[in-house]
Amino acid sequence: MHANYRLGIDAGGTFTDFVIADRDSGEVKLFKALSTPSDPTLAIENGLKLIAEDLGADPAKIVSNCDLCINGTTVGLNALITHSGGKTGLICTAGHEDSIEIRNGHKEDGYRYDPEYPAAVMLVPRYLRRGVCERILSDGSVRQPIVEEDVREACTLFKNEGVETVAISFVWSVLNPIHERRAAEIVREMMPHAILTVGSELYPQIREYTRTSTAVVNAYLAPVMRKYVAAVDAYFRSLGARQPVRYFQSNGGLAIGQVMTDRSVYAINSGPASAPQAGLYVSAPFKRRNVITVDMGGTSFDITLTKDGQTNLNKNIDFLRYRIGVPMIQVETLGAGGGSIGWIDSLGILQVGPQSAGADPGPACYGEGGIEPTTTDANLVLGYLNPEGLLGGKLPLDLAKAREALGKVAKPLGMSVERAAYGMFTIVNSNMVNGIRRVSVERGYDPRDFVLVGAGGATAAHITALAREMGIDTIILPKLASGLCAFGQIISDVKYNYMATAPARLDNSKAYRRINSLFRDIEARAVQHLRKDGFRKGDIDIKRSLDMRYVGQVHECTVDIDTFEIGDKTIDRVKDAFHKRHEELYTYAERHNAVEVVNIESTLYGRIDKPKPPRLARGVPTAKALKGHRRAIFRASGQTTRTPIYDGSLLGAGASISGPAIIEEVTTTIVIEPGWTARLDASGSYIITRKRK
Amino acid sequence: MSAKRKTKVDPITLSVVRGVLETTQREMTLSLEKTARSSVFNLAHDYSTALFNSKPEMILQGQDIPIHLGSLIPAMKSVARFFGEDIHEGDLILHNDPAFGGSHAIDTCMYKPVFYKGKLVYWTVCKGHLTDIGGPVPAGYNPNAKEIYAECLRIPPIKIWERGRPRHDVLNLIFTNMRARRDQEGDFNALIGACQVGERNLLNMLEKYGEKTVNACIDELLDMADQHMRDLIRTVPDGTYEGVAILEDAGHGFGDFEIKATVTIRKDTCHIAISSPPQIPYFINSYEGNSHSGVYLGLMMFAALPPPYNEGLYRCVTVDFGPKGTICNAQEPAPHMNCTTTPMETLTDAVRLAFEKAMPSKVAASWGHANGLNIAGWDTRTKEEFVTMVLATIISGGGATPQQDGWHAVGPECCFGALTSGDVELLEYSYPIIIHKYALMTDSGGAGKFRGGSGTAWEVEPVDGEMLCIGFGEGRRIPAMGAAGAYSRDVDSKVGRVVLKKSGKTEVVRKNILETIKPGETVTNMNPGGGGYGNPYERPIEKVIWDVRNRLVSVEGAKRDYGVVIANPETLEVDIAATERIRAGT
Repeated sequence: MHANYRLGIDAGGTFTDFVIADRDSGEVKLFKALSTPSDPTLAIENGLKLIAEDLGADPAKIVSNCDLCINGTTVGLNALITHSGGKTGLICTAGHEDSIEIRNGHKEDGYRYDPEYPAAVMLVPRYLRRGVCERILSDGSVRQPIVEEDVREACTLFKNEGVETVAISFVWSVLNPIHERRAAEIVREMMPHAILTVGSELYPQIREYTRTSTAVVNAYLAPVMRKYVAAVDAYFRSLGARQPVRYFQSNGGLAIGQVMTDRSVYAINSGPASAPQAGLYVSAPFKRRNVITVDMGGTSFDITLTKDGQTNLNKNIDFLRYRIGVPMIQVETLGAGGGSIGWIDSLGILQVGPQSAGADPGPACYGEGGIEPTTTDANLVLGYLNPEGLLGGKLPLDLAKAREALGKVAKPLGMSVERAAYGMFTIVNSNMVNGIRRVSVERGYDPRDFVLVGAGGATAAHITALAREMGIDTIILPKLASGLCAFGQIISDVKYNYMATAPARLDNSKAYRRINSLFRDIEARAVQHLRKDGFRKGDIDIKRSLDMRYVGQVHECTVDIDTFEIGDKTIDRVKDAFHKRHEELYTYAERHNAVEVVNIESTLYGRIDKPKPPRLARGVPTAKALKGHRRAIFRASGQTTRTPIYDGSLLGAGASISGPAIIEEVTTTIVIEPGWTARLDASGSYIITRKRK
Repeated sequence: MSAKRKTKVDPITLSVVRGVLETTQREMTLSLEKTARSSVFNLAHDYSTALFNSKPEMILQGQDIPIHLGSLIPAMKSVARFFGEDIHEGDLILHNDPAFGGSHAIDTCMYKPVFYKGKLVYWTVCKGHLTDIGGPVPAGYNPNAKEIYAECLRIPPIKIWERGRPRHDVLNLIFTNMRARRDQEGDFNALIGACQVGERNLLNMLEKYGEKTVNACIDELLDMADQHMRDLIRTVPDGTYEGVAILEDAGHGFGDFEIKATVTIRKDTCHIAISSPPQIPYFINSYEGNSHSGVYLGLMMFAALPPPYNEGLYRCVTVDFGPKGTICNAQEPAPHMNCTTTPMETLTDAVRLAFEKAMPSKVAASWGHANGLNIAGWDTRTKEEFVTMVLATIISGGGATPQQDGWHAVGPECCFGALTSGDVELLEYSYPIIIHKYALMTDSGGAGKFRGGSGTAWEVEPVDGEMLCIGFGEGRRIPAMGAAGAYSRDVDSKVGRVVLKKSGKTEVVRKNILETIKPGETVTNMNPGGGGYGNPYERPIEKVIWDVRNRLVSVEGAKRDYGVVIANPETLEVDIAATERIRAGT
């Protein structure tokens, strides 16, 4: 039977977004239900009820008529934030029990002279970190065979202490996993009910601290993820789902439940990681593959970058103060949302964020008791937001309260409320620009070569100003912007990262042979895995990368390479790719110097066909969509301009509107600054452009 | 609260310019960190990047390692003075000499004048700790040097690029006098790359906002920082306060020394006078540039100001380093290489202590001092010589504060958490060594109501040949200074030391060493813990027990340092009566 729908469920902090796509017509509908952190399946039930009402069919019928149900969840992230993971034990090389507490001896930048900045909370206290006498050396040889009694003693302690999840991580296990495997056998035998994470299996890359920390985070989250996945899987099975639920990972791809339990660490920042897929999808009708996505919500602003269809990844970074090795989509998050608060710092300089009024009390103009001036208050004073309210009037706004709150920064700076509002708008944009530099300039890319894709409800008011500041000429803003991340999940592929370590100088054929054979090994395993998930050979794609550096450097650059056999004839292609990347990143290359490889990685995709894109009909003539005019501010002086306001729901394909103008969609308000023109495309996105000077 | 003042510039543009300056400095730092070869530099973050205007005043310094805090101010001024009008677009200036405002000569500075429309507008500057700087001992630390001439290659301000063209003859002269040429060339490229990144960003900003507006904003930022520090100083009661710290004999045989800081507060100004004994023919003399950092760190430990940092902060502060020819105001030919840790940390403690007396309510304990190891030898795997400072060997404990225990493994004081010590596997891959241990040490944190952070032990064995180990530092007899009445009875476990297992014998060494070891022999370098805060007998018993459970405090340590008697070491049951007796002092 043909399945008509695909369902995406993205659980956020406040709301859970539901996206249901009709695979034949391309129609996509967005629903929102309140999140229920204490019982995550409850929100899913509630959302399905909303969809059922709308479609006039019961939830079981809808679910069984979906080719895939996809879930992005924050349960792992929340467990890490609130330190409510499982009771965890660590088995490691004797003498190296403390690497996760030593944390390379570093204190985070920005807090250097703050004596009361607290140390990171340990996920495994020191007494549950047990050293085992064993040692592998940097050439993979065994210096000291494993003393099995040490492992048994650790297990006895863990059992007495009620440990439910165990991480094993030994020095150099990546080159020789024999001791880790033996220790794992003993743990399985002595603690058959414990969840086990083995460092060299989870993250087979050089760097003991990173690997141990990644294994510990994984072990810590595993019980939480296991429980969650079991509940959601069972619920969907009970509704007659055709396929196991797919879960969204922080690497930007999907995985089945078993993988989410074994590799829980991949779950932690999955929410914003679907933005690049969505960005590419909405840019495709315009033949653009260089995409920066910006997603402004209530408290934060998330940025991602995709170049030539490849999204920036982070490896080996500190996330929520824990070192995590596995690749995650690079999401630069700033405290710059609609609720971000304007304040004057101890130097006397106006700042915005990172503190936020959040959902409660929210911006002053919500009238829920907020008294601090927020970005939303500034946007209201600037005339960008409809004073009658948002969401079609469901959320009324109080202009007087917004003005009063803005007085808190305007007065000390000796300026009018209007100028202060424009000042806050400018500063928040400037913070965002600096954030965008972190994904672009710092990664060796010129942001002017990209289109800016807006996601999230609050972005559209800032989008033309942001593009102007960045020197970007093309903006794509989907009507679906406020649910774009949930949409990104339903058009994503299954994605697994397979890694290995191969430290070697690139000057001998022995090294080439080793790299080739490692690639073959990990890819064979990955393909087998995907075949088991039901993918045919033709649906499986492989992408390779090498982490390389000049001999003597400590940090590597990740270089993407095609899948070819590395040998004397092809080695220059590899090296050239590295020199080029180094130059993009750091302004120079050292072509005469020796190059080495440290880690290798293959990313495997199981391709899933995409729902058809929506086709928007032609709407009423643009003039008929004009709702009226408002005075809005586009200048630092605070001077107002009479600005036309359009009802976006009446506009159809081909409609064109030049700034200054404001388009009010149901879930977002688009501000078109003077000099920009928005055209509504049949694919359901506004493409907003300006003439190059 | 600071007195809010009207700005002379548009406050919105001001915020934006400030953001661009910080972004610029961040991008310079990142470029440097990711490309440098010297691990001291890319892992230790033992570098700093700064921006100067044409005067030259420091308009922004990154939150890098405190060893460099403010020390680029005198260095930049001395470089600008040296060349006078002879500065041109495309020049690049190199310098490391302490007699020209440098800190220690292995910290090498690169200065790039930035020209806009044919006029000098800014300087982008980087400074970083190189792998080696020539001289008789690899990595620059030569405890046997009696004079600076026996330590290293000194580089007074010199142009390595002139009007956009590299001076290969000059560069060749420099590299010829250094070990590990390939790494050195890489590090020079990294320094130059970072300066170029800074230049690119500053020029973009000028194009966008105009020179006049940008510079007016920068002047305003300097004035604001000035105001900020003055507001803080005004809260300190007027008066004169003294702090004295002991610089222990690290094996030179000249005995212990006293370093004294006298802080005089008058309204919104602060004068800091240092007095130290005459310089000695041992590498712990500090020239003026380095002593600046020591004094500023003591000041910042007290001030605890958030970023950004610029020269305006120090306008209300005057410093007198005492007569020339003293340990804290050294002059040629004093050897100096160890100065960024010793005596800098003792100097910092003296200044911190003077401020503690001025304002006892605003104080945290001192951090463990650096007590580290450099290693050098021949790597048969790559047939190359190796030499490096091992950062993991200087990771000490942080000081406790009025509200919390000190951080473990975050020192030494002179680095204040800016270090990253590098991964065990990366080190073993890069050098022919086995690291048997890199761990926290039981009983090493200073006792107090709030405990000091634990120090670390780092044990090494060479794999395939002889290896030279060069020890430096102090804090091996005198533990990190506590605050608010903290006191450790068990001193021996709180201080740094070196355990040498060689020729079948085990020896505990408490002085700087120069030892060669072979496979089968090991050196363990131990670093001191941080100072405690408050009376250790007031530390809640359950916290002491939790520490014992985690082996941060031993059963014996619980009794000696905290007066907590554990009746059963298995169950950690406490003998309450005995504990109360000890804690009551009866």
